[in-house]
Amino acid sequence: MSLGKEWRTFNAVFRRNLRLFTSYSTWLIATIIWPIPLLAMNIYQYLGVASSRSVSTTLSQNYGLTLSGMIIVGTVVYLLYNRLLWSTGNSLQTERWMGTIDVLFLTPASRLTMLLANGLSSLVEGAWWIVAIFLLNWFIFGIQLTVTSWPAVAITLVSTMIALVAVGVFFASFFILSRAADQMASSLQAPIRFFSGVAFPVAALPQALQFVSLVIPVTFAISALRATLLSGGGIVDILNQLLPLYLFTAVFLFVGYFLLRIVEKRAKKDGSLYQM
Amino acid sequence: MSPAVETLDLTKTFVKKTLKGSIFKRMIRRVTTKPEHVTAVDHVNLQIGEGELFGLLGPNGAGKTSTIKLLCTLLVPDQGTAKVNGYDIVKEPNKVRESVGVVTGGERGLYWRLTARENLLFFARMYDMSDHVSKPKIDELLKLVELDGRADETVEKYSRGMKQRLHLIRGLIHDPAILLLDEPTLGLDPASARVIRDFVKQRLQREQKKTILLTTHYMDEADQLCDRIAIIDNGKVIGLGTPAELKKSLSQADIIQINASKVPEAAESLLKNIEGISEVALSFDDSDAGRAQLRIHTMDAESVLPEITQTLVSKGVKIHALQEIEPTLEDVFIGLTGRKLRD
Repeated sequence: MSLGKEWRTFNAVFRRNLRLFTSYSTWLIATIIWPIPLLAMNIYQYLGVASSRSVSTTLSQNYGLTLSGMIIVGTVVYLLYNRLLWSTGNSLQTERWMGTIDVLFLTPASRLTMLLANGLSSLVEGAWWIVAIFLLNWFIFGIQLTVTSWPAVAITLVSTMIALVAVGVFFASFFILSRAADQMASSLQAPIRFFSGVAFPVAALPQALQFVSLVIPVTFAISALRATLLSGGGIVDILNQLLPLYLFTAVFLFVGYFLLRIVEKRAKKDGSLYQM
Repeated sequence: MSPAVETLDLTKTFVKKTLKGSIFKRMIRRVTTKPEHVTAVDHVNLQIGEGELFGLLGPNGAGKTSTIKLLCTLLVPDQGTAKVNGYDIVKEPNKVRESVGVVTGGERGLYWRLTARENLLFFARMYDMSDHVSKPKIDELLKLVELDGRADETVEKYSRGMKQRLHLIRGLIHDPAILLLDEPTLGLDPASARVIRDFVKQRLQREQKKTILLTTHYMDEADQLCDRIAIIDNGKVIGLGTPAELKKSLSQADIIQINASKVPEAAESLLKNIEGISEVALSFDDSDAGRAQLRIHTMDAESVLPEITQTLVSKGVKIHALQEIEPTLEDVFIGLTGRKLRD
């Protein structure tokens, strides 16, 4: 493996994606608007039944969380998860849809590097969402962050993003195999949102369902971010969340890489890679 | 000297998929019945010399594209193998991919929202070319196909012919020794097709000395461009030689071409029953009016002509033109398969 070659592949895909992204004004508008209704939906499902103070008091007493803090982090991670799953997992399917997958697979470029570049380039949108959600909350709810370790926040954010890209790499193979990527990705959205505790604490779930949450990396990402951003947690305090997240990242990347090779081999055998 | 491309019993079979019936019926059928197989490439043996422009001529579904996909490693063979630029397509796929440039016909294979220059730069990077090497090369290639004036426009604004020229130079960006051109003039207007053909023959073969494998179902294209042609049907090579050699193989046959109207569909079988006629191919220009062309292969045109005209006139056919013609590659195909290329 030559680092220069991998960098060129990464650079090519990253820059192409940014160029394609900015060429569609509708994508730009959607990116700007999308976090707002999602955040509002998450918040007003509580405010529709009780006042902000009353909900926050209950959350604080039972789970050590505030309403806005819980919603902000959940929404940020969920948006990142969605963006990265679609951009990484769906990228090869998108190439197939655009009719470019065969010319792309004719190049000697690494498939894994292509997928990683697809995922990380979408973080340009993701970065805006993170900023937008914090700004909205600051203006609307006057949220106070209680950060004691900014490095811990940065490490958690980067770890979360890498873990989510790894999830995308893992799903990319399934999406190619099934040729129904859109439907598969859509069908994963609601369960992930539910089990990872985007809009409520996982601890509020029945014990049996909490076990399901433990196999979803998003759960650990949300938990780690809540600890660093809202409870003033440092690196040591979030090790319990970060270690499973790294384990998930390693497993998803490793399995995803080999799955991708198997799928490509199979697709070359039955000719299915190039069929819509 | 070893050939630039050599196939050895190259074979590819696919499972025939059908979308007939509901999803449940299809699932039951998949479990209960044995899958049907289609042999797309059937023990193909070819040798293409360095600098040769070699044609694969055949109707749609004959196995031309599958052969190209096997040679460029987008498919793996079920049996046999091939060597491209000396590299085995199964054992050394990466070396093969570096050696070939693949150009497909049609609108796909480019990013429409990127400019021509951005498309080429993207693919150059994917072929591990540094920007300082690829940028002058891109300028040179754009100039070569006369797209330099519109290089910074998005591809979606291009005509079909311009997109095809861009496809061609995309295939050349990493300077491959061998070019695989799959129906490069498919769907182009005659003027654009001529530009592509001239470019392939003049620039790529004569000046750049590239080895070119071209698939087409246009017999004139194969005739004009190719040094040698393999005629392929149902995955099998059924004829091989220079255009002149292939036509010569029919030289003992006389070919009568009739243009007529009010031709019934049964005309083909009626004429085939006449003694001395070996092949008849009927193609309708306008099936409602029965306007059609008949190509008749016979060993002695003079002796069968009266019976041909009598048979047709007795069925109410109006003959507009009747002539004896020189054989074309279409006739070679008819002679080999009993069908026209377009059938």
